[in-house]
Amino acid sequence: MRPSHLLFIFLLLLTFIDATLYLHAKRMANDLKTDQALQTIAVAGLGLTDLCVATEARYTRHPAVSDPMAPFMDHPGAIEHFPTGSFWNAPTNTETR
Amino acid sequence: MLPKGLEKQLNILDFSLSSLWRRKLKNLSIMLVFALVIFLLGSFQMLTGALTNSADAVLKNTADITIQKMSAGRQEAIPLAYIEKLHSIYGIRAIIPRVWGYYFDESNLANFTIMALDSDSMPDGNKLDLTLAHGHFPKKTETDTVVIGRSVHNILGLGERRIFSLFRPDLSLKSFNMVGLFAQQTDLLTNDLIVMNLSDARDLFNIPPSMATDLCVYVANPSEIETIAKKIAGLLPDTRVLTKKQIQKTYQVVFSWRSGFASICLLTALVAFAILAWDKASGLSPEEKREIGILKILGWETGDILAIRFWESTLVSALAFIIGCTAAYFHVAFFDASLLKPVMVGWSVIHPPFKLLPSVNLADLLLIFTFSVLPYLGATVIPAWRCSTVPPDSVIR
Repeated sequence: MRPSHLLFIFLLLLTFIDATLYLHAKRMANDLKTDQALQTIAVAGLGLTDLCVATEARYTRHPAVSDPMAPFMDHPGAIEHFPTGSFWNAPTNTETR
Repeated sequence: MLPKGLEKQLNILDFSLSSLWRRKLKNLSIMLVFALVIFLLGSFQMLTGALTNSADAVLKNTADITIQKMSAGRQEAIPLAYIEKLHSIYGIRAIIPRVWGYYFDESNLANFTIMALDSDSMPDGNKLDLTLAHGHFPKKTETDTVVIGRSVHNILGLGERRIFSLFRPDLSLKSFNMVGLFAQQTDLLTNDLIVMNLSDARDLFNIPPSMATDLCVYVANPSEIETIAKKIAGLLPDTRVLTKKQIQKTYQVVFSWRSGFASICLLTALVAFAILAWDKASGLSPEEKREIGILKILGWETGDILAIRFWESTLVSALAFIIGCTAAYFHVAFFDASLLKPVMVGWSVIHPPFKLLPSVNLADLLLIFTFSVLPYLGATVIPAWRCSTVPPDSVIR
């Protein structure tokens, strides 16, 4: 067997895996629609503003209602020390005070 | 029967594959490192894209306008008397005060979010029971009752119990009866939530009855949100006025390429790989130079030698790209992005399960492709071209 034939077989295998993942994504998107309908009710009913991803600091738990100064408010010259603070970008609420 | 041009390219491809296989250890290790870099970049992009998509999908029903009182640059409790002032603005449908804040559980080092409001006045407030795995939302008259998120239930170790206590600021205990538990499907929003009545939250946080944490404003005509927000900001100059649009925009910004630490780590990995590729490519080994010289003596043209190098580089980089992106999808979809999650949640004790659909779009894939595959192709083909233009006798001598 020529080396290029082996390569084509390998590429076919990768294509098959990726096609399966595509079908998985389609199915998962359908499943998530049901979840998102419930999440939308929770957001509307409780007025939620943020995703519950990081709960260690208030400005990463609720970045939408925090301002960019929040990480440095503990005392004058305070440094930001929560790990998530260095991973998340500050929201740009330029129109707010 | 294959066309002659295609047959020639197939032969060159066979030769390139045999050439790669001769130095399999070196080429496989390069492909592995390459795939790892693409895997990291791809995982980051798929995870943050998935979170952004989820936020876009579910936060569209948040309050039209949120008003927070500011004092000395910090948010503080807002007087309910401000509601009276806002009644002069035409177009406001409802103003709902909320009391919310954080409760730090010292025994478990966990931060809970306490939320209290009159849910009957909220849009979809009557449907909130659908978001629960069991139980019901506390009615206005039901005091000392709460609905909690699944992680709160686990961290407090409630099991079958329904009663638990939280400390007031003066360290006296306040007991609560759990009357509902949020469903798993809403974990992404409610995992750390404890929802209770306004009077209970005021009692727990020691907030006077005349105050609230913020005000949710609902507007009759959505196209007037910005105008009304400006009017509110003019009427209440000591407040911060956030519109729904700004809240929705937050998640398009917080996880971006510029988000500090992550981009530094990922770009460092990319630069390290670029240096590796350049080092490998710029200095062809004497053996590789001799091979090129012998091929030229045997009658191969410069174009054929370049075609071999092109095929070799394309195979290594394209396979690494496909393998890296496929592995990134597996990582985010099936393993909860377990390598990136510790960085995303930091010191949080509450770890929400990430049931997310990895965000795969053409723009992101092209961006990763452009940053990784194209430089590698350039870094390997150009030195080969320089070498193949040198007279062969000077190379093999």
